[in-house]
Amino acid sequence: MKTALATIFAGLLASTPLAAQSVEDFPAQAMTYIIPFNAGGESDISARFQQSEWENVTGHQVVIQYQPGAGGAQAWSQLNSLPGDGYTIMGINLPHTILQPMAGSVGYATDDLTPVHYFHYTPDAIFVRADSQFTTLQQLIDHAKANPGLVTFAGSGSNSSNQLANVRFNAQADVVTTYVPFSGTGPSITAVLGGSTMAGFNYVTSAVSQGDALRMLAVSAEERLPAFPDVPTFKELGYDIVGGAYRGVAVPASTSEDVRQRISDIISKINAQPAFVEKMESAGFALTDIGYDEMDEFVAERIKEYTDGARALGIIQ
Amino acid sequence: MDIISYLLDALTPFNLVLALVGVVLGTVIGALPGLSATMAVAVLVPFTFTMDPAAGLIALGAIYTGAIYGGAYAAILVNTPGTPSSIATTFDGFPMARRGDGGLAISLATIASVAGGIVGAVALLVLAPPLAKVALAFGPTEYFWLAMFGLTLIAALSVGNTVKGLIGACIGLFLSMIGVAVVGGDVRYTMDMQRFLAGIDLTSAIIGLYCVPVILDLVANADPHLKPSETGGLRFAEALRYSLPRKFNLIRSSVIGTVIGILPGAGGSIAGLVAYSEARRSSDDPESFGRGNPDGVIATESANNATVGGGFIPTLVLGIPGTPPDAIILGALLVQGIKIGPTLFTTDADIVYTFIWGLLIATILMLPVGLLIGRYAYSSITKVPKAVLAPTVALLTIIGAFAIHSNVDDAQLMVGLGILAWILNRYGFQPSPIVLGLVLGSIAEQGFVQTYLIGSASGRLTEMFFMRPISIGIICAALLTLLFPIWSNWKSKRRTQLAQAGEQFADDGTEIAPEPNRRDVPGMIFAGLFVVLGIAMYVGASALSPLGAVFPIAIAAALILFSILLIALNLRRPAGGVGETFDMHSGAKRRIALGVVMLAWVLLMPELGFLATSITAFVAIMVIADYDRPGAKTWAIWIVSGALICIGFWWLMANVLLLRMPVGALF
Repeated sequence: MKTALATIFAGLLASTPLAAQSVEDFPAQAMTYIIPFNAGGESDISARFQQSEWENVTGHQVVIQYQPGAGGAQAWSQLNSLPGDGYTIMGINLPHTILQPMAGSVGYATDDLTPVHYFHYTPDAIFVRADSQFTTLQQLIDHAKANPGLVTFAGSGSNSSNQLANVRFNAQADVVTTYVPFSGTGPSITAVLGGSTMAGFNYVTSAVSQGDALRMLAVSAEERLPAFPDVPTFKELGYDIVGGAYRGVAVPASTSEDVRQRISDIISKINAQPAFVEKMESAGFALTDIGYDEMDEFVAERIKEYTDGARALGIIQ
Repeated sequence: MDIISYLLDALTPFNLVLALVGVVLGTVIGALPGLSATMAVAVLVPFTFTMDPAAGLIALGAIYTGAIYGGAYAAILVNTPGTPSSIATTFDGFPMARRGDGGLAISLATIASVAGGIVGAVALLVLAPPLAKVALAFGPTEYFWLAMFGLTLIAALSVGNTVKGLIGACIGLFLSMIGVAVVGGDVRYTMDMQRFLAGIDLTSAIIGLYCVPVILDLVANADPHLKPSETGGLRFAEALRYSLPRKFNLIRSSVIGTVIGILPGAGGSIAGLVAYSEARRSSDDPESFGRGNPDGVIATESANNATVGGGFIPTLVLGIPGTPPDAIILGALLVQGIKIGPTLFTTDADIVYTFIWGLLIATILMLPVGLLIGRYAYSSITKVPKAVLAPTVALLTIIGAFAIHSNVDDAQLMVGLGILAWILNRYGFQPSPIVLGLVLGSIAEQGFVQTYLIGSASGRLTEMFFMRPISIGIICAALLTLLFPIWSNWKSKRRTQLAQAGEQFADDGTEIAPEPNRRDVPGMIFAGLFVVLGIAMYVGASALSPLGAVFPIAIAAALILFSILLIALNLRRPAGGVGETFDMHSGAKRRIALGVVMLAWVLLMPELGFLATSITAFVAIMVIADYDRPGAKTWAIWIVSGALICIGFWWLMANVLLLRMPVGALF
């Protein structure tokens, strides 16, 4: 009887509301990490890399769930209706969460979302097939200048980072090219590999899985990537195209400031794990460490940058 | 050969146990509509991190192939595809079950799934690198024509009712356009409602369109759901005797499944539909398809399980996942530090080949596992009293629709579409063309717009659409499928004419009901409504970007055209035909009561909580579906078991699949 009472008492203690516990103890149980896209994309793969380090860093597991729909908008529009105890977090992407609300009513505004950490970005890159006639970016630009509209670029989706890069490329290189949207990275890489389009604007990560079958002509990173030391950046070739898709972690707006900072710290800590860095970099991801304290400034800069892009895309006047 | 030596690695006891457990788990999950292979694989991925890569892959692959197979149970027994891959299984599987051949249908599905799975896995084992080129040879044009080919199946599915079939397809295509468009990025036809932003979810639509009408009919009369079989059991020996002479159908369907599996984004549902369509075309007796022809089940089930092996080909060779479960498995491989790509088959040969052998073993294990689970599933469906069966199936539809996104909106949509489908079906608009339109719409649209963009860029638009070799092949196959029913119809009419010439008035007492050549007033009213819908679609398209507007405008025009055609055809017929008097007999009352209960269930769920609404609705549906009027003791047992079923599923979803369950005010 005594033991039974003790068990019940222990059980009651264990079920004390989590909010009452101190932030230092967070997390005290497994967390749920919602990916607003289908499995297999860059958001999923980078989250899976985090998942394999999660238990080392926090002492608890993380469960990854998928809630795809409307290019992520379906999940983001529901983020703030989730409990704000910190145990449910959601992947968040740029430029998606800035461009989507500009393009139309998608059920959330950029300001509604609370990103706490952006942990990496995937630079855009121009890809061609291995047997393509183009071996340098200049050859492609010359061809496009001689034949306006003829050069076709496959990319992932409309109003996406890929299309934004294409628009900037057209403006910077003073060419006219045709952007063909596909329903994700997989189909758009298939189109480049199969020769349906002449070239593709895709994320660098695709180059890793394709090996010699594809050639990268230029990447939109600040500096050459460790995984691809031979591929020039747009910047060194004289075109001001830097950026790509940023991925991070967001929490419901009701989450307390302490927990926000705590989750940001967890992501930072995972970002510093050598095994994680190794996996991410060899897969072509460029790590960033934009924590909660720098978030407002970072997002404000991106909004400014993407507003110009949105104007060029014709999303806003 | 080296490859054989890896077979021994796959045969370790641990790997065999993983394959067995995976197949059992997969089959059960696949059999429950809405609980998908993707969900099961996603939850289990973290457990494979600590396993040996090959062992982890075998577990995930076994779940995947088991789930695709398990989808057939729900298709055969309750007319609801357990996964979208078994859409075409319902066409003949359910009619077979209805007439008492459900056990035979399950056995045939098992044999066909194992055969198809073996063909797909063997292709993966010996031909993966060369076959991966198929994925690359398929450009946007080919996807467009493949979708068109799929749509031609409507002509076969709605013989004698083609115009209504075409209207149904337009409705399905319209539903596929709702939400944010992939090409163009427009937000289309959401009526500013958040829930439509992500579009109509295919799985919840399928559950609604196929299953809700079945439950509505289930409660309307006292007849058993399925006619009891005369011999009982699964009739495995009979199924084996039946399928052996049909090895050509089996192999052709399996090859179709493997090839379509290789195409990223096409998937098992299209493979099943194409194989079904081919089986029907090449049959001596195409008329019997859709009325319980076992060949339809064989074709679909062998094709959809062949897509498992086929789908792994681009996943492993190109790093391009063929299907969503493939994508998760790809992610699991990357986390294990394995580089996917053309070199995988040489650098990590031990992992890859051990996995493929494991997949093959898992496929073969489906035979004993399937026969065991199948026997149990079939006998429980036939033995459970109607008053328990109806609410259980209703609960499964709601769980299934909810589980896809942990979202009650999907369940509400499912019930709404289901009630609509029942009404439409009553007036001759069948659900299958709508589902076909919904499945194929986005593939058709993306393929069309991409081909248009690429073709216009190079000024070779006609060439792009019509001159590519693979496209020409698909167009020919589509034309064959489209024209064949018309030709065979003409031929059989001609034959009757010739027979009549010899033996006049011989067919006086034929059982075949003459086509209702009377004016179909309700059909005309619906057609009128569809004209209005078409105009609304056209008006709505004017605000879209040119890329996003071209498909809606084309579909709106087609919908208006076919609807006016239907009205015109009926105006030529003599009036005063089918006298529609709506009498409120007890069946209709029960149907309406069930519809109201299901609507209330999904509407109140977010307010009151999942368990509170489910248990209440379960008991209410028991009362609606009860014809036996048993004693209080039986009722007590029923109510307790109903509550246990609800709690069991709630526990499964909340604690195993880790879905966020609606809590609401109560529980």
